[in-house]
Amino acid sequence: MRGAWVEGGPADEELDREQARGLMRRLWKDLAPYRGRLLFAIALLVAQTSALLAGPWLLAIGIDDGILASPPNPGVLNLVAAIYLGLALASVVLGVFVIRQVALVGETFLRDLRTRVFRHLMSLGLDFFEREKTGKLVSRMTADIDALQELVAVGLVAFVQNGLIFVGAVILIFLLNWQLALFVLLLVPPVIVASRWFRNRSNRAYLEVRERVATNLATLQEGLAGVRVVQAFGREGAFTKRFSKTNEAQYHANLQTVRISVRYFPFMELIGVIGIAMIIGIGGGFVERGTVEVGVILAFVLYLNNLFEPIQQLSQLYDTVQKAGAALHKLFELLDTESSIVERAGAVDLARSGAFSVDEVSFAYTGSDYVLRDVSLTVGAGERLALVGATGAGKSTLAKLLVRFYDPDIGSISFGGIDLRDATLASLRERIVVVPQEGFLFAGTIRDNIRLGRAEASDADIDAAIDALDLTDRFAAMPEGVDTEVRERGSRLSGGERQLVSLVRAALADPSVLVLDEATSNLDPGTEMVVERALERLMGGRTVIVVAHRLSTAARCDRIAVIDNGRLAEIGTHAELISQRGHYERLFAAWTSGVTMSRTA
Amino acid sequence: MDSERAARRAGWKLMFEATRPQARWVASGIGAGFVWTAAKVTVPLLAAAAINLGMEKGRSDVTLRFVGLMLAVGVVQAVCTGWRRYSAFRIALRVETDLRQRLFAHLQRLHFAFHDEAQTGQLMARANTDIQQIHMVVILLPLTVAATLTMITVIGILLYYSVGLALIVLGLMPLLLVAASRFSRKIQPINLALQEELGDLSGVVEESVSGVRVIKGFGSEKTQVKALEHEADAVLDNALAASRLRALFLPLVDFIPTLALVAILWYGGHQVLNGQLQIGDLVAFNAFVLMLIWPLRMLGMLLASASRASSAGGRIQEILSTDPAIADRPGARDLVRGVGAIRFDNVSFGYADGSTVLDGFDLEIAAGESVALVGSTGCGKTTVARLLPRFYDVREGRILIDGVDVRDATVASLRRNVGIVFDDTFLFSDSIRENIASAEPDASIEAVRRAATLAGADEFIDELADGYDTVIGEHGYSLSGGQRQRIAIARAILADPQILILDDATSAVDPAKEHEIRAALEEVMISRTTLIIAHRPATIALADRVVLIDGGRVVAEGSHEFLLESSAHYRQVLAHAQETEAADSGTAEVPA
Repeated sequence: MRGAWVEGGPADEELDREQARGLMRRLWKDLAPYRGRLLFAIALLVAQTSALLAGPWLLAIGIDDGILASPPNPGVLNLVAAIYLGLALASVVLGVFVIRQVALVGETFLRDLRTRVFRHLMSLGLDFFEREKTGKLVSRMTADIDALQELVAVGLVAFVQNGLIFVGAVILIFLLNWQLALFVLLLVPPVIVASRWFRNRSNRAYLEVRERVATNLATLQEGLAGVRVVQAFGREGAFTKRFSKTNEAQYHANLQTVRISVRYFPFMELIGVIGIAMIIGIGGGFVERGTVEVGVILAFVLYLNNLFEPIQQLSQLYDTVQKAGAALHKLFELLDTESSIVERAGAVDLARSGAFSVDEVSFAYTGSDYVLRDVSLTVGAGERLALVGATGAGKSTLAKLLVRFYDPDIGSISFGGIDLRDATLASLRERIVVVPQEGFLFAGTIRDNIRLGRAEASDADIDAAIDALDLTDRFAAMPEGVDTEVRERGSRLSGGERQLVSLVRAALADPSVLVLDEATSNLDPGTEMVVERALERLMGGRTVIVVAHRLSTAARCDRIAVIDNGRLAEIGTHAELISQRGHYERLFAAWTSGVTMSRTA
Repeated sequence: MDSERAARRAGWKLMFEATRPQARWVASGIGAGFVWTAAKVTVPLLAAAAINLGMEKGRSDVTLRFVGLMLAVGVVQAVCTGWRRYSAFRIALRVETDLRQRLFAHLQRLHFAFHDEAQTGQLMARANTDIQQIHMVVILLPLTVAATLTMITVIGILLYYSVGLALIVLGLMPLLLVAASRFSRKIQPINLALQEELGDLSGVVEESVSGVRVIKGFGSEKTQVKALEHEADAVLDNALAASRLRALFLPLVDFIPTLALVAILWYGGHQVLNGQLQIGDLVAFNAFVLMLIWPLRMLGMLLASASRASSAGGRIQEILSTDPAIADRPGARDLVRGVGAIRFDNVSFGYADGSTVLDGFDLEIAAGESVALVGSTGCGKTTVARLLPRFYDVREGRILIDGVDVRDATVASLRRNVGIVFDDTFLFSDSIRENIASAEPDASIEAVRRAATLAGADEFIDELADGYDTVIGEHGYSLSGGQRQRIAIARAILADPQILILDDATSAVDPAKEHEIRAALEEVMISRTTLIIAHRPATIALADRVVLIDGGRVVAEGSHEFLLESSAHYRQVLAHAQETEAADSGTAEVPA
């Protein structure tokens, strides 16, 4: 089942019977903690619906046994009216409780589902995230759970209630007069057919509308984001025309839904009139023969609404329920996906320091060729090793294995003599920390972002970490110091500042081993220097493995490992490798000529 | 408060204006609404007559005659309801579509300074949510006319039959309107807050998925889960608040009509006993009460959404009434293609924030000359480049091209003559070919290919599976920063302007690759005047003359070598650039 859930199509797909049954069973199981409350709410709902349905019946009694009785009996009329009023009041009170109860159960279930799915998502291995598109994962947590939210907020009560009303009304009209009821029920099939037609057609039409709206918004967004280029090339007219196309397409898609609804709703109004006409026309005959009393006719007319309205409503709700079902199905499948990186039973904590040893490691991403083949190397405690090589050679992959984002397919990686797979994840993340290329920041303050390095760190710890990298002044200069909000993705900070925060974060974690993925982007010269200095301080006294994009960085390391096409091609000090006249020497020669070229130009 | 009211009035005016072209549809929709109302209230009356005159008197022929009439009226009712619904929705959709088109066309024409201030998200909201608010009201308006008519007719009939019953119904039913409008008004902010919380929640999810390497790297999954729990709790609180409101409102909405029905049964029943009413009338009354429910609820919703829509309209009107600051002057002439001599004459300029960027800036560039503008960040060199195609107007002084003030030329002709390659490359979600041919959509594939070759882009484009037809952008193929820049250069080359501005246009191009483009650029520069803004010394050296800018003025000029020797400031600026350059030259071109 692993990974199968992603094959699922859009949220609108229908589940087959087998899946639906499985889904219901699982949902029922998951609802266990809420079951009592839910059943209570449903009981209240049944009571409320019964109170609503009693009205027309009471009316019939009031008319036939009160007004039209001979002699007329005002007492019955008064009594019936009083009961009717009492039931109406009861139904209000019950209604309030029902809605609140269902919401409480439903929304709590959703809150728990959200955190459960998210916790599970966070526990999954990195391979999962590299396989799946961000948008898809986010939509599990948003669009799919929102589909459930809609059901819980409005759909659930209406769905059950309308079902009850329909069944109740059918039973009641049969009890009132089964012959007349049979005639009335003749109208039900056309209503069902029409409602199904409407649902299917309008579903398709709304799908089209959603697509058109998305396209139109995309054109709009692009027209706004690219307005400067549009104006620079004098393309305002062409772009407005282009927008007009998608805008009109949206209009026509919308109009199509209107065309469908103006066939359905008038038909339903007509059916309503036909129903009344039938009851009076046919019922009139019954009254003449004395088999039916006038009050019953009246009750029938009122129950007519209770027959047609639920069918319309249920037909609309069917969709909400379907979508929620499909969403839940996908969520359950996500919950069933197992993490590739799990802690073994009996895992031990990693030692505070030790040597890194990569032992005949081969690795391939799922469904592709080996990216690393038979790589062996050791990194002593406190040593600095640079990994160099062309893009795609495998150096970043090796770095990912060193921090156990992935496990090797063959061979092993150990730290201080303990295989990483036998170590507790907590101690692993504490000892070995990776600082990614671009400092990735989360919405929140700088302090929040730094604290990510060690959740239980105090403010003083954070200040100390900043001070350790000699950045106290630098951070103090920000608008609100370390309490500056960085906004989403740290957009309020410059690229260099983001890297600084990311370095302090690593300093706070205080790891024994630092795996650096060197940044490739340009920083302005001033910041570049500050980042370099902070990095140098961070590296002090630690084992460092750096995925180097610049040979100047590599040259400063104790040893350099050249990865070529997934294999360890060379390893040694800068001087050794230069004298070997191999890969590294060639890379270095090309680099130096590049530098001189730009100097002399 | 007054400005708020004025904005609303402007909003109403906008809605009215936008609806006016639909006057015929409005009229036919309202007409259909009249007939529909008449038919709808006739049906219960016919039913009452059938009961009173037929059923009660044992005359089934009379009953059937009325039943036949009911069916006929029912058909009329159905046709008219279809027509009025179609009209209402069509009008609203048309108004929505037209308004959005107007807004977009206007935004396309608005000046750079406007777009600098406005956030894309805000403008998107204007064109999307604000216009939807208006849509709601425009739909409701014609429907409400019919609904109001229904109400008046029903009330009239009730008064005719029984003043007492009419008063009971009149006393109860308006509560529905009050409840509906109060509910709409109260639920709105809660729903908004809920949407916002859901947005925050998906923000946490989005960030956590994007930043999963950081989270995994530090083992800080628990922190993120806690952040999500916090948001999920906020969502729960809001959802429960909304449900509490619904729990009050929805049962009440059912209760008010039921109360009216009870009153009809009891009071009406006694009237029948007293002989003041007939039994069939009770049936009609019941039907009338049910008929009032929707119009009243709709009216309530309309009242609540009208004020929102008018504010939304006010916000849209505010944009529409902003005139493009950069427009053709009366009597502006087309700038004919000349030799491309440029003169900045005592130019001062500052952005909307009030800062002064250029202060008495003087610069003369000869026809066909190439000039590099050099200076530290914020010195004003990009501003110079943006004043020339009149993306902004100078505050003081003037800019002349071949002796013509750029403000006296038509904007279209000016921009045809001045081509620019921006520092942040923006490409459209189109094919590569269409992107390169932006300025001349009818350009032949040969011309496109030639431009791409000159920009050093031909090679990598040919390697793509679909070549020049490869669709790029958000939903298409994603190019590296350097590749994007090369396409942007090709785009400018194809436009074949007399004056070409390269604003840091090769910054993301691999230095090794830039070397090749440099040769091509040299060729492109031969026949035109060129302004180059660059950091790499090799690129700067392409220019005939280097102009050093500092504090909004030209502080030194001359050849690259001359400035290297004579200006300490120039050496300093270059040294910074060179430092980054050297450190970075081992870097491969990475996808953006």
